[in-house]
Amino acid sequence: MTTADPAGPMATTDSAGTMATAVMTAGTMATAPMAGAVLAARIGSFSFHGGTSPALRDVDFSARPGTLTAVLGGSGSGKTTLGKLLAGWLRPGPAGRLSGSLALAGELLEFRGGEDDPRINPAAWSDRVGYVPQDAAAMLSTVRATVAEELAFGLENRGTPRARMLRDVAGIAELTGLTALLGRDPATLSGGELRRLAMACAVITGPGVLVLDEPLASLDAAGVIQVRDLIRRLTAAGTAVVVLSQAADGLARSAAHWIILDGGTATAAGTPRELVRSAELARTGTVLPAVTHTVPAARARGLVPDTAPVLELEGVGFRFPGAGRAAGEPLLRDLGLTVRPGEIVAVTGRNGAGKSTLLRHINGLLRPGTGTVRVAGKSIAGLPAGRVAASVGLLFQHPRDQLFERTVLREVSFGLRRLHGREAVARAHEALETVWLSREAATHPAELPASKQRLLALATVLARRPAVLALDEPTVGLDRHGLERLDHAVSAEAARGAAVVLVTHDAAFARGVAHRVLELDGGCLREV
Amino acid sequence: MPSTLHPLTSLTAAGCTAVITTAAGAWPLSLAVGLAAAVLAVRAGVGRRVLAAAAAVLLPLGLSLLMLHGLFFPEGRTVLAAWGPARVTAEGLAFALESGSRTGACVMVLLLFSFTVSAPDLVAALAGRGLPPQFGFVVASALTLLPVMAGRLDNIRAAQEARGLVLRGGVLSRLVGVRLQMVPLVLGLIEDSGSRAQALEARGFGGPGPRTSYREVADPPVGRRFRAALLLLAAAAVALRLAASWPAAGPS
Repeated sequence: MTTADPAGPMATTDSAGTMATAVMTAGTMATAPMAGAVLAARIGSFSFHGGTSPALRDVDFSARPGTLTAVLGGSGSGKTTLGKLLAGWLRPGPAGRLSGSLALAGELLEFRGGEDDPRINPAAWSDRVGYVPQDAAAMLSTVRATVAEELAFGLENRGTPRARMLRDVAGIAELTGLTALLGRDPATLSGGELRRLAMACAVITGPGVLVLDEPLASLDAAGVIQVRDLIRRLTAAGTAVVVLSQAADGLARSAAHWIILDGGTATAAGTPRELVRSAELARTGTVLPAVTHTVPAARARGLVPDTAPVLELEGVGFRFPGAGRAAGEPLLRDLGLTVRPGEIVAVTGRNGAGKSTLLRHINGLLRPGTGTVRVAGKSIAGLPAGRVAASVGLLFQHPRDQLFERTVLREVSFGLRRLHGREAVARAHEALETVWLSREAATHPAELPASKQRLLALATVLARRPAVLALDEPTVGLDRHGLERLDHAVSAEAARGAAVVLVTHDAAFARGVAHRVLELDGGCLREV
Repeated sequence: MPSTLHPLTSLTAAGCTAVITTAAGAWPLSLAVGLAAAVLAVRAGVGRRVLAAAAAVLLPLGLSLLMLHGLFFPEGRTVLAAWGPARVTAEGLAFALESGSRTGACVMVLLLFSFTVSAPDLVAALAGRGLPPQFGFVVASALTLLPVMAGRLDNIRAAQEARGLVLRGGVLSRLVGVRLQMVPLVLGLIEDSGSRAQALEARGFGGPGPRTSYREVADPPVGRRFRAALLLLAAAAVALRLAASWPAAGPS
């Protein structure tokens, strides 16, 4: 901790608006679930203002120093709400009504959902509890020019002397593997680098608790190892790390304690060994990697009919013009790819290898410096991306980049009339049905949880019935139900004769769903 | 390419040039300042952006000045053409040229400053002078807003093109594109600012108490003396202007 807050982490405001130190109720702190915990919560109910039903109900939570706790649950189970509440990003009062208590580092705050409730000081609270959101970029200040300055932002705001800042920044960069990147513009970092930067920003002030929302999402194998190693180091140093995840993956299984959330309620708590085969876990949408991906190693390879290819890339070379980390070095070199109707091809590769760049060449959003891209036998050179879109559907890596309409139905319907005429409305509803979003037709896309946003973005691609589907990281953020929908949709598209090229870090999913798995390395594709 | 000058030096230079040009009120000087700013912008590699932004501000302004003073200038005596109550007078045109070139010079130097200043340096320099960090953040956000908006617009356009939107080069097509992209752009920016505010609060941005700065911006003595000289010069120009106008204004 760099500074001591004179008012304590939980500065409270009385009815006159003056600051007072929270008073610990010794009797309550002595009760069993909170004993020894650095952070504990007993949530009777938490409702957002204007919400019709509680987002969280009957959740008991505690985290001990030096341990890893995993909060598991499917999409919409309340994990992110719980994480933000624990971390002070959602404050009882301004954000919603909480009945229950929060206890941090020996101080207890009781909430009754009324005007007299204590107020959390977010800056002081975050000195003790760090939080890294699912979208790591949202953590950044956006006004700092280098990684080092971004790391120092939290220290500057706490008035840390410069000499100490230099030491802390160097130390945290060493711990998180960011030393070589200290001079880089944060806007140019890859997904894995960005997540490590966000984690470093959260722990640089030395909080006793670190809450991580889906910390492994969209990371390559190397990124996963680095983040897991960092978590190990933090717990070894005494930090209580809390991971919110919809996958009972290797990281979650290394936790000391699990809490299972279902529909906003904690349905079970215990060790991974006790809960991994429990009915409570099975009822949630939690992905159990070993169980979910026991699909045969390759999907019956010889089944693709030997017809003319619908997608051909020949000798494709590309480099980004102008400044930036990729300047000067070609991302794609003499790349070749042939995909037949009904064939599913998975492309893997490390973060920053150029996988998304490759997909953007397929639908004409990027043009190759050398070589040719042919769709259905015709070169797309000179054809506007909007015309190529009639034959190629692209699912973007970040669904929020793809969603721009006011309702879910309008989103799926965008541009459909020109393609399908009178059938457009029926096609839109059909696509929503495929991804189980029919009931959300009138919802604003921004109000959907991340997993449903990805399924909606997928629906916008499916509704167009393109000859080629290019899917960028389609599994990220999906729970088990979402993965089943995706698997079903991809198989159905292949069955109707569409070619599917999907980029993924999820090796098990790639092997399970694809006819061929290719790796993009050094700008070229090779069979895995 | 960001300027190598200390941000407060370039800010003072831009501000004082604008003040001196306004005080001098001579169109040849205004024109020379505007041209010099354009040359410096081209040499700094931001010529195209500065000129595009200047055109967006100055063309409508120039047209309105011409309409107002060129056609309706009561003090005008030398009538060049007349259509009913509208008279084109030499004095009106001279006045339009005078005020147009003066505003143009100010716009050019301030645009040159905003396109060449390093936003992080400026924020660090302002924080170092004891200004509230919120002020520095707003300044930095304003300076970085255009690139951020351009990036977002690119994403939205790509998403719409990927779903069949064809944008041709024509004005009408571009207008259709702007209409389709503005709503998601604004909604996206509002949504972003909400989550950004939570993150900033958690990182202690809104908290009270003194702040320190990680970034150090070199401020050599020569730069400080240059700033003082510029401020003196600007003050002198304003004083001279007031003195020159006083007798004329006095009797009336």
